[in-house]
Amino acid sequence: MRGFRGIVTLISFTAVPLFAAPQPDSHVDRIAADIIVTAAPVYVPRAELRGEERFPKGAHLLLVRDGKAEPLIPEFAASADANVYFDGSRVIFSGKQKPGDPWQIWELSLKDHSLRHVLTTASDAERPLYLPAGRVVFGLRTPGGFRLDSNDDGHPLLSTPLNPTTGPGEMKLAYTRGSSFPDDVLQDGRVLFESNYPLGNGQAAEMFLVYPDGSGVESYRCDHGVARWAGEQSSSGDVVFTHGDGLARFTSPLAHEVRIAAPPGQYAGSIAEAPSGEWLVSVRQPAGMHYVLKLWKPGTSTMRTELAESTQDLVEPVLVAPRTMPTRFPSGLHPWDYANLLALDARLSRDGVLKGTPARVRLEAQDADGKAFIMGTAPVEQDGSFFIQVPGDRPLRISLLDAKGSVLRQEHGWFWSRGGEQRICVGCHTGPERSSDNRVPAVLLRTTTPVALTAVQPASSAHRVASGGR
Amino acid sequence: MRRQGILRVFVAGSGLTVLVCATILCTWIWTVQPVGAVVTGRVGERLTYPSPLEILSSKNAKQFYVLCNESDEVRVLDSATGTAVKAISVGHVPRGIALSPDGSRLFVTNSWDDTISVIDTGSLEVAATWKVGAEPSSVVEDRTGRYLFVANRISNDVAVLSAQTGAEIKRLAAGRGASYMAMAPDGGKVYVTHVYPNPSPHRTEPESEITVIDAQRAVVVDRIQLHGIAGVFHAAVSADGRLGVAAELHPKNLVPLAHLEHGGAFEDTLMLFGADVGNRTVEVPLDELERYAARPFDVAITPDKSHLYVTSGGSEIVTVIDVRRLLNYVQTHHAPFVQDLSASSNYVVTRIPVGRDPRGMLITDNGRKLLVANRLDDTISVIDTQTNRVGSTIRLASPSKLSVLRYGEQTFYTARYSFQGQIGCANCHIDSTFDGLEWDLEPDGFGRDIVDNRLIEDLKGTEPYKWNGGNPNLPTECGPRTEKYFWRSANYDDLTLADLVTYMLSLPLRPNRWRLPGYELSPAQERGKAIFDRAVDKFGAPIPLQNRCSYCHSGPKGTDQKSFDVGTRKLTDNSGRFDTPQLSNIALTAPYLHDGSAATLEEIWTVFNPEDKHGRTNDLTKDELNDLIEYLRTR
Repeated sequence: MRGFRGIVTLISFTAVPLFAAPQPDSHVDRIAADIIVTAAPVYVPRAELRGEERFPKGAHLLLVRDGKAEPLIPEFAASADANVYFDGSRVIFSGKQKPGDPWQIWELSLKDHSLRHVLTTASDAERPLYLPAGRVVFGLRTPGGFRLDSNDDGHPLLSTPLNPTTGPGEMKLAYTRGSSFPDDVLQDGRVLFESNYPLGNGQAAEMFLVYPDGSGVESYRCDHGVARWAGEQSSSGDVVFTHGDGLARFTSPLAHEVRIAAPPGQYAGSIAEAPSGEWLVSVRQPAGMHYVLKLWKPGTSTMRTELAESTQDLVEPVLVAPRTMPTRFPSGLHPWDYANLLALDARLSRDGVLKGTPARVRLEAQDADGKAFIMGTAPVEQDGSFFIQVPGDRPLRISLLDAKGSVLRQEHGWFWSRGGEQRICVGCHTGPERSSDNRVPAVLLRTTTPVALTAVQPASSAHRVASGGR
Repeated sequence: MRRQGILRVFVAGSGLTVLVCATILCTWIWTVQPVGAVVTGRVGERLTYPSPLEILSSKNAKQFYVLCNESDEVRVLDSATGTAVKAISVGHVPRGIALSPDGSRLFVTNSWDDTISVIDTGSLEVAATWKVGAEPSSVVEDRTGRYLFVANRISNDVAVLSAQTGAEIKRLAAGRGASYMAMAPDGGKVYVTHVYPNPSPHRTEPESEITVIDAQRAVVVDRIQLHGIAGVFHAAVSADGRLGVAAELHPKNLVPLAHLEHGGAFEDTLMLFGADVGNRTVEVPLDELERYAARPFDVAITPDKSHLYVTSGGSEIVTVIDVRRLLNYVQTHHAPFVQDLSASSNYVVTRIPVGRDPRGMLITDNGRKLLVANRLDDTISVIDTQTNRVGSTIRLASPSKLSVLRYGEQTFYTARYSFQGQIGCANCHIDSTFDGLEWDLEPDGFGRDIVDNRLIEDLKGTEPYKWNGGNPNLPTECGPRTEKYFWRSANYDDLTLADLVTYMLSLPLRPNRWRLPGYELSPAQERGKAIFDRAVDKFGAPIPLQNRCSYCHSGPKGTDQKSFDVGTRKLTDNSGRFDTPQLSNIALTAPYLHDGSAATLEEIWTVFNPEDKHGRTNDLTKDELNDLIEYLRTR
């Protein structure tokens, strides 16, 4: 049940600091902004990707001002995941009013301290992030893990619906199995989220991108690592994230990650960038200790502690300050329940040269139980192009077959196309660095009607694909 | 308050005096950095801004000559102080500027007057005005002082003039829209680029060229083919003559425009040529995975060939490239490079933000400074090439107010509204015209409704827009539709959209070069007009009203603003009814028909009008069709 939005007035902030920050180095200035941080007795990294609780013993948001921390929402049983609105006037977070409540999305006005219940869900709704145009993206707990979702944030700026098929309101943004959990909203308007690679059936944490209408899902980069998560875009445009224990970044000029030479430690990701250019990071040194907040100037070898507590992990720091609003994305989805997918040259891939000539493309879909079904095949032209109509909003996987029907190459994981989406792929797993050739794909010279692979298949063994594919 | 933080005027910082231009002799100031002052509104007046387009240094390096595209001037600055020396009035819409080898004369091409202003650099007076070809856009003099070469955009050629008298000696065929020229340092060759693609078969990759002229003999000695390129701007040649570099656009017009990521609409590239790259052409991208260098325009190479600089008008940056790394990359990797958006990481040093619509550049102080003309904010960025930072900014005297038209023009030329800053209006409407390409837009279906790009001059009274007539007005065309299907990113607010539309509706029709003085018609044009207006065919049969040229192509702009089925529907078209296009300056805008399938005007009737549905023309002879074309060219 969604849609309830109550307003609760926060009576007062407690003035009693729960934690005392250690004295910083006397010659170093503090960050010129308040900080909100999640404090938890136990923080379990990447638990969200297993659909588990990140804060199994609860958590509270702290407001850190002038080195002193105090609870931000003391009357709540739990609070976490602060995200400050672009003008710095309010904070959206996940919270529990009472201990038995699910995590819900709330908003705190920093002007009058009023509280607003933004969204009511039957299950946990976590890590809310503001989108432009009065929307919010968050992770919704489902039986299969967290799922990327979007909804109005109660401050709609535009009447234009993101999706003509659903109109304003709730919108599911991810359609593969497994957890998908929001990390950040990039300046170009896309949602950065973490899931497991290969998408839909993998085990290694990885970062992906999707437009705020659920279209255009793709890996951020295709030099896939073993555990990338908690990405955050910095003012330079780079995305800084945790890879293993350390920090790394993606930067616009490069197709691969760049490791960041940060002091050793286990980093919890989600860095905050101070006006000085320093980074506020959550790190534990050595492993096994609690995560503390440290201020680090990239390029240097030392950090200074901003806030620490002997019994609490301090993670997900954010600055209470205005920030640049990302670009609003205008959805161009058509009012269809299917999508059109055009591959320009399926032979191209980072996986190397095909060991044969692709003759057909096979589409598989998954049902609600995760069973894979063959939806059909379509011809691949001599130039490697194919044009198919696929079911919208379902996990899909593509395989290239040779003339004998043998699989030449199969997608590592699953993807989806939104209903009404028209998508072009340069190749099959070519990576975001590969731009298209400028030529009319042969398939469009032959026909502009996609091969319809949208019919729902019966659950017969003849169409079922063995687990993991062939 | 409107657009706080977006609109800015540049004023002097505290301690400096803002000098106001009170007379035609304008004054410039040096500022340490532009200081932002919020503009809370814009004025509806039609104001004239200098709009610096190109910069040159005097022979003795004591003065800069700044070509001001909108105020029709050359402004002369003291190079040491940046102060004004003089403003010299030239012809209309000056576009190119060059100094004679001895530095005594400055040549300015006046693109809408079809003239060259010859300025005596001693007196800083216009000493002569020479008549040249159609829309002269750049000029260079050969080293011996014998020839003056003038690139003519509309006549697609290079006029060879006597450098002493201006008398035209001959014309050399160049690429379509010949516009920019670079002289090799030894004076041996002239490299000519062009902004519209050469003719190529329908729905095939665009083709362009660099026309190479032997400067001593004044003959074309080579045409360097630029495959896949449409829109080539400035070129430069290194001091040792071994490396040539041209700035260019690499469109993706043949692929459905479904999204912009991964260079979906355009790539911004450089074409390398010359001995350093094995006397072949090597195309290298300027773009990155998530940032673009939209609309590269000018190229400058340092005297020691250590670095080259490229302005990108849409992205409002200067890209700095390490030449040694660039050459090492192309020599040690396998081409092609253009599909790899990570390639630029191998040679791009940095990108320097500058002003609005940066265009021409000038390297001074033996490579220590780089001057950049920012056309749409009337400033010159002075970049310290050691630090790659803008050390100071020269503000040309200009109106203190920002007009609606100016703001609309800034909006038209920037790429900041599109996804990751990849494209702007001016990508496809080069210099507010067209691009000579056909595009496959997404909403009509992949591979369906291929559309030719149309000229946007003199638009008032030509609505509706789109070939299917689906958009009743420009706010619809440029607003929601553009946001959703072109920019793929948040568009303008309503006021900015209104300013953009006002600017577009203000675009005048450029002078028609086929009209005789006094708008008389030649005998052939008269015969063609009679065919255009005729009501009876050659056999005496009445031509039905709707089958006369003058019925649909009626009114002053040659359109009745309605849609008709004229038998031109292709299998890939969703409908056979198309908006009647205006005929304004139709001679310039090949290819023709809604999908650009007619390479010439003649093909409209000889290839695509078998049943006379597009006017009764099958009774006409070749000569009579030529007459009709002659008349249409006057529209």
